[in-house]
Amino acid sequence: MSNIPEEQGSAAFLGNVRDSLLETDKVKRRDMLGLFMPLVRDAAVDQFDQFQDLRKQVKGVKQHTLDNLHHYLSQFESEALDNGNQVHFARDSSEMNSIVLGICQSHRAQRVVKGKSMVTEETHLLHHLQRAGLSVVETDLGEYIIQQANETPSHIVGPALHKSADEIRELFLKKHDLGERELEGPTEMVAEARSVLREHFLSADVGIIGANALIAENGYSMLVTNEGNGDLCANLPKVMIVCTTLDRIVPRASDAMAALRLLVRSATGQPITCYTSFYSGPRREQDVDGPIETHFVLLDNKRSDILASDYREMLQCIRCGACLNHCPIYIGVGGHAYGSVYMGPMGSVLTPLLDSLEEAQALPDACTACGRCEEVCPSSIPLPDLLRDLRHEKNREKLTPSRWRLGMKTHAWLLARPRLYHTLSGIGIPVLAWLGRKKGSFKSLMLANGWTDQRDFPAPQGKTFMQQYAAQRKANNGSR
Amino acid sequence: MAQDSARTELMGKLQRACQNAQPARIYAELNSLGEAPSPTLPASSLCEAFLINVLKNQGTVACTSNRSEAVKAVAEHLHSRFRTRKLVAGNDPRLAAMPWRDGAVLPRFGAAEHGENASLSYACMGIAETGSIVTYTGKSNPAANNLLVEDHIVLVDTATLVATLDDAWTQINKDQQESGRPRGINFISGPSSTADIEAQLVKGAHGPRSWHVILLGEIPEDALSNARNATEA
Ligand code: SF4
Repeated sequence: MSNIPEEQGSAAFLGNVRDSLLETDKVKRRDMLGLFMPLVRDAAVDQFDQFQDLRKQVKGVKQHTLDNLHHYLSQFESEALDNGNQVHFARDSSEMNSIVLGICQSHRAQRVVKGKSMVTEETHLLHHLQRAGLSVVETDLGEYIIQQANETPSHIVGPALHKSADEIRELFLKKHDLGERELEGPTEMVAEARSVLREHFLSADVGIIGANALIAENGYSMLVTNEGNGDLCANLPKVMIVCTTLDRIVPRASDAMAALRLLVRSATGQPITCYTSFYSGPRREQDVDGPIETHFVLLDNKRSDILASDYREMLQCIRCGACLNHCPIYIGVGGHAYGSVYMGPMGSVLTPLLDSLEEAQALPDACTACGRCEEVCPSSIPLPDLLRDLRHEKNREKLTPSRWRLGMKTHAWLLARPRLYHTLSGIGIPVLAWLGRKKGSFKSLMLANGWTDQRDFPAPQGKTFMQQYAAQRKANNGSR
Repeated sequence: MAQDSARTELMGKLQRACQNAQPARIYAELNSLGEAPSPTLPASSLCEAFLINVLKNQGTVACTSNRSEAVKAVAEHLHSRFRTRKLVAGNDPRLAAMPWRDGAVLPRFGAAEHGENASLSYACMGIAETGSIVTYTGKSNPAANNLLVEDHIVLVDTATLVATLDDAWTQINKDQQESGRPRGINFISGPSSTADIEAQLVKGAHGPRSWHVILLGEIPEDALSNARNATEA
């Protein structure tokens, strides 16, 4: 079975974190990622003088699109139908999975090739089709690796970046029945995967891909990849199915281009990926290749609820992964600790909204409020604010422990009375400083064990900030 | 049917969450949001900017001023890579009319098959902003020709170069008014690649391992050498 069983979910976050911090080699790889990915992203962004203007323009258009999503979705649907597609709507994961299975079965399909799609990860489509007896192969190299290893993605853009080249080598030697061979280094491994997967492409009955954008004005879907695997899925099999969600809609092709400029630079630091493709439907009369039948399966899975909620901005996410790469928590604990399909800051917002706040209640706390995610998010989503709102909601719904809530309440009460607060802290701080004068820190503190369980509390150094500030001002005034 | 009810339910929910303005107002609002900025090109000449970005995308390039030279450039590439004169090309009238004998190239016209070494596409356009070439799927360029071969060779007319991704779509929309929507539109910007193993870039993931762009037409004399200098630095 999978190393990260589905059932475990985000409820186990804290336990997972403890385990993941002990995997020293993985910690090292994550640290590298946390250094390297921001560098390539920054270099690409720095070369684009008007990047901030671009961000603003895209944000405006995205907001406008969500405000008028009913209109644009209807427009996309009618264009897509005109282009010869069948368009399906799925309320939830199980509806999407059964629609896709139904299409496969109606063609008596045996073999399915899949491009990378977070939406189908969300619905666990792969397992659904496999349980029905179909052979399904993930063709994005990262997805293929984790499918072979029976794992889940650790990153929304680079799903297998948690694995070392050695682990992947062992995996391929075990899974590919190709006799004795060295398989030294990534180049040889990529070549092997290429030849193994080529056979799958050539013999597949159905190709399933995701979409980075759905263009309302012309009914094209946009697919962004470097490997070209998605395009092989979209062009070789007789049936093509695009699985995606409502929030991928953009009004015009030019809006897809603007989003593309943001997406690729933020995701991999490239100005464009090797393949950016637009597919409109089945093969035309004169065509000599391409699918004969094409489907769009549009999943809601609570997006329409999010649209009507205060978390609407989360629907502007273009899944670039930049917030993951810049998050000290994600880099510290890795994607698997989150126990959900989406991870990092975007996952900590999305998972509670898609599953339930009760189940995923540890995730909104997985934030140091450093603000890096919001700073780099190409869609300017205020992730720290949304996380804070979720924590607030958790508090309101009494999901936070009562002692914690009482503490917060007392703190708020005190903050509203600055004079009392300063008097009390003026007494408390010197006492703490005196108690901790020898060691400089506390291993445990009464009423704050939850905090000191994980780390030591540094002993205050002398006076409170306000006292020092007042003294400084006095000294400055005196010296004038 | 469950399907119809899912659609009705969803559209109803969206309608309740949306502003539901008249289309004319919606488009007026959209237009008022202005155009997205594009990045500054790395050179003032379109040819040079395009060449720079093709090179940055790990493509190889050749510059030719007429069709005879272009055929020779194709022959040279085929010989150096595979010691062959054969390639596959779509049923594109522009390709059919090439002086193949000038380079002793033996094209087969049709869709590429697995195992073939090289294909040749005649791009609809080249995009300077991203160093991309654009093809439409169809008889003149079956999708397989972009994907199944080891080497993808692409001819680009300098007259079809555009500056930005938006300009590319302006041209695509024009073409569609004449000949309808093609099934697929492909922006190709380099050989197929992956960085899925320890974030190391490897060329030749699932598609072509190498991507050779032959620019054809009036090209400023120093464009290629400038482009090479700009990318080597
Ligand atoms: S939240 Fe922003 S940074 Fe994170 S994946 Fe989405 S678009 Fe990218």
